[in-house]
Amino acid sequence: MKLTREEKKMLDGKCGAAVQKAMEILVALGECYDAKEMIPVGSAHLVPCNPSAAGKGGVLFYKDMAEKGAKFVIPVSTNPACLDSWAWREMGFPEEMYQGQVDLSGVIAKMGGFLCNTCTPYVIGHTPRTKEHVAWGESSAVVYINGVIGGRTNREGTPSALASGITGRTPAYGYHLDQNRYGKLKVRVTADLKGASDYATLGYYAGKIAQDRVPIFTGLPGFVSQQEMICLAAGLASSGSVSHFHAVGLTPEAPTEKAASGTKKIGPSDTFRFGPKEMKKTEESLSKVAPEEVNLVILGCPHLTIGEIRKYAEMLAGRTVKDHVEMWILTQHTIKKYAEDMGIADVIESTGARLVSNTCPSAIPIDYYKQHGLKAFATDSPKMAYLLSGAKKLPCFYGSLDTFLDVVTSHRR
Amino acid sequence: MAEIVIKGRRVAKGRARGEALVSQSPLSFRGGVDEQTGVVVEKGHELEGVSICGKVLVFPVGKGSTVGSFQLLELKTNGKAPKAIINLRADPIVTLGAIVSDIPMVDRLARNPLELIKTGDLVEVDADRGLVKIVSKSH
Repeated sequence: MKLTREEKKMLDGKCGAAVQKAMEILVALGECYDAKEMIPVGSAHLVPCNPSAAGKGGVLFYKDMAEKGAKFVIPVSTNPACLDSWAWREMGFPEEMYQGQVDLSGVIAKMGGFLCNTCTPYVIGHTPRTKEHVAWGESSAVVYINGVIGGRTNREGTPSALASGITGRTPAYGYHLDQNRYGKLKVRVTADLKGASDYATLGYYAGKIAQDRVPIFTGLPGFVSQQEMICLAAGLASSGSVSHFHAVGLTPEAPTEKAASGTKKIGPSDTFRFGPKEMKKTEESLSKVAPEEVNLVILGCPHLTIGEIRKYAEMLAGRTVKDHVEMWILTQHTIKKYAEDMGIADVIESTGARLVSNTCPSAIPIDYYKQHGLKAFATDSPKMAYLLSGAKKLPCFYGSLDTFLDVVTSHRR
Repeated sequence: MAEIVIKGRRVAKGRARGEALVSQSPLSFRGGVDEQTGVVVEKGHELEGVSICGKVLVFPVGKGSTVGSFQLLELKTNGKAPKAIINLRADPIVTLGAIVSDIPMVDRLARNPLELIKTGDLVEVDADRGLVKIVSKSH
């Protein structure tokens, strides 16, 4: 790999032990993927940022790098914590877990990290520009940055994202290079998509087919909301290891189908249809229980925009969440504050639902669910369905909120 | 027996000497190796029940979850890590694991280490110079 004089200095330890270790990580990674050089990156996003997902080894790594004197030279944002750092006590989380989170967050803050603790930091200003190279973790954000924004990132893990934060570099391979960004398969959408969860279903369907390839969508409506794009990206990233996508006429690298696919023509064997039948089949594949069986509802995966929170508030207004059901609506703390200021949070909390901030149910240890008798859950996110029913083995009902709203709430008299 | 020296590529720096432990099949550290004991726990794996602690571990390539990098660091912290790693071709997970744990590692050797090195051989890995030396064969 060709290194600049400054990069060589970093690798030789002339910029300190943390920078040296970070450069070793990036050079080795670059050599695994036959990268020819390093490129500057504008920001990094760290995953995981909670002790339960990072494990002892992950926490050790963060601490080790901080002790070596690591300091971020670019903006570095953080993925969700393992609990809501404001409501953890009333939600019944143990003090020890809170302390573990505070310790790890402290280590990341010491290095200069921005503790936004969200999977959608680009919603609150940690936003790469079009064509900007960045080093982000969090699969849904990676797809959103490449696809929707037209920024450039690979799917980074903890060591490489942290190393990029410390050096401001990443090896030039994968989605940083033009030739790897073209679409390789086509998904023709003929289903009528109503709302964000339908886009999530589409993403989940296409991600399964695409695996690690770049899909091109045709036939989408002329306007797609930010939350719908976020959910499409998250769906793609959860059933496959998709990092990038194109939507013809909607995303920056796809003004036309030809621009999206490059010189290679996509043949019929790589062309798929997403119609009403495919939508129904995908939805059914994610559900293992009837909505009557659930006692936990999870909305807001990925973390919600203010507009989508208001939609939920409008749907919930005049209703009460049934006694045996917990309903969590997930977002980031900044957006929660925004919802409070606008009076939307009051509407939601008066129904018995909870606006939960800066955490992710997939980062919460399984013991918590067991201790709180949470046996089955309903969600409108295929990513959450996949994460909780897979790793945590919690049975799931998957559908948009209107399909199970009457089962989990009652009208207020 | 004359020493055999094989040229390879440095993946993670450092030097170590130890007894070889060879696996013909890929290895996953996360879920595959117990971090408290260093014993391979993956069901049906050819090294199941064997400790990798203090060995020069020779296997084709890593497999499994991306958090595997940190499993190596946990093993190292618990004093149960291998002394060095030799792979056919390094994958990102084991590569990063070796670097963050300060375990010398080499790959892309000029001759196939899975054929040349046998479990029990005394092997020296000089990752800084990208060299593997078989000091003595076990019989």
